[in-house]
Amino acid sequence: MVGSAATTEGPYGSPQVRPLRPYVMADDPPPPPLPAAPEPAPEPEPPAPAPEEVSTRSSLAVRPFLLTTGRVAGAAELPLETQVVATSDGLAALPALTFEQHAIVAACRVPLSLAELAARLRLHLNVVRVIAGDLRTARHLAVYVPQASTAQDVSVLRRVIDGLRAVPDSRGLPRDSDRPA
Amino acid sequence: MVSAPSPTPEDFHVTATALPEPEHLTAVANRPPLPVKMVIAGGFGVGKTTTVAAISEIEPLTTEASITEVAAGVDDLTHTPHKTTTTVAMDFGCITLDPTLKLYLFGTPGQDRFGFMWDDLVEGALGGLVIVDTRRLDDCFAAVDYFENKGLPFAVGVNVFDGSLGHDLDEVRWALDIGENVPLVLFDARERGSVRDALLVVLELALARAER
Repeated sequence: MVGSAATTEGPYGSPQVRPLRPYVMADDPPPPPLPAAPEPAPEPEPPAPAPEEVSTRSSLAVRPFLLTTGRVAGAAELPLETQVVATSDGLAALPALTFEQHAIVAACRVPLSLAELAARLRLHLNVVRVIAGDLRTARHLAVYVPQASTAQDVSVLRRVIDGLRAVPDSRGLPRDSDRPA
Repeated sequence: MVSAPSPTPEDFHVTATALPEPEHLTAVANRPPLPVKMVIAGGFGVGKTTTVAAISEIEPLTTEASITEVAAGVDDLTHTPHKTTTTVAMDFGCITLDPTLKLYLFGTPGQDRFGFMWDDLVEGALGGLVIVDTRRLDDCFAAVDYFENKGLPFAVGVNVFDGSLGHDLDEVRWALDIGENVPLVLFDARERGSVRDALLVVLELALARAER
C-alpha cells in the first residue's frame, strides 16, 4: 500500500464546503443537508464486495457532492478530456478503496477521459474530478493533464485533419475519394 | 450484483491480471492517447446530439456537468458579479483517429436562453461548430457570440433536414451577422461524411490561424 497523504488537502487547494444545490432526482424526497465541515472522510459506504457491477448502479439517488464531503473542484479544474489510468498501486489497492474510488480505479484499467468516467459511472463530472484528484494524490491513478496550447499546435492540427479525413462516410469512402481534387 | 463471498485481495489480483486483452495490447492501451476536443454548439433541438452520434465511435454519452450562468440582461452584468452555476446534461462522443490521438466532440448543453458560459468546454478546444436551423436562426446567436468573444476558430453549419433550406446562404450569413472569415457550410447532421467534412472546415480554419 502506498502511504496515503492523510494530511494533504487534495490537488485543488483547501477543501471547499459550501451549500451546493446539485440536482436531485425528480421524485426524490427532500435530501438531507450537507455536512457542515469536512469530517475525516466518512464515506457513505464501506467497500462493497461487488466491484464489477458499477455500470448498473445508479448513484443519482445520492446527492453527488456527499461523495466528496462537500468539496467541489476548485479553480484549477482538470479539463474534461483529461486522461486517467489506474496505476498498479491503484489496482493492488482496489479492495481497500471506498465505493466510488473503487469504481473509478476499476474502470481505468484502460485510459479514459474524465467525461467518459463520469458518464459510465453516472457521477457528476465535478465529483469525478474531486475523487480522481484524491486518487491521484494517493498515487492510485495516473492523470495526464492535456496542455491547452495543444489547440494551436500545427502538427497536432495536421494529425487531426489527416485522421479525420480518413474516417469513412456512411458509404465507406474517406474524404478524398468522393470528390475531385 | 455479483454474489462473490468476501473477495480477498488475491481475487482482485486475478481479475486485474486476467484482462481479456493480450499483453502487447494492454501495454499500448495503458499509454493514453493525446486527447483533443471540439465543441458542437447551437440551440435546443437543432441536431447537436445527432451530429455527435453520426461520427462518434461510441453511442453518445451523457454526463452531468456544471456550467456558469451569467445574468441574461446585458445591463445586469455589472450589478451581478456573482455568477451562478447550473448543472446540465451534456452529450459527447469520441473518435480514435489513431492509437495515439483521440478526438472528443462535446455538445454544448441545449438551452434557449442567453447568458451561459461554457468555459469548461471551450478551454483547449481546437474549434467549434455552431449548428443552425434556418427556421430558428436566433437560437444560435449565443453560441456565435460566445465563440467570437473567446477567439475560438468556428464555422457555422446549416443543418439541412430533408434537404430543405429555408433561406439562401447569403441571407443566413447576413442574418447571423458573421463576417466572411467565418465559414458557413451546409451539412446533414445524420450523415457521417457530411459531419466529418463540416468538422474539417473548422479544423482547416484552426490550422490556417495556427500557421499565421
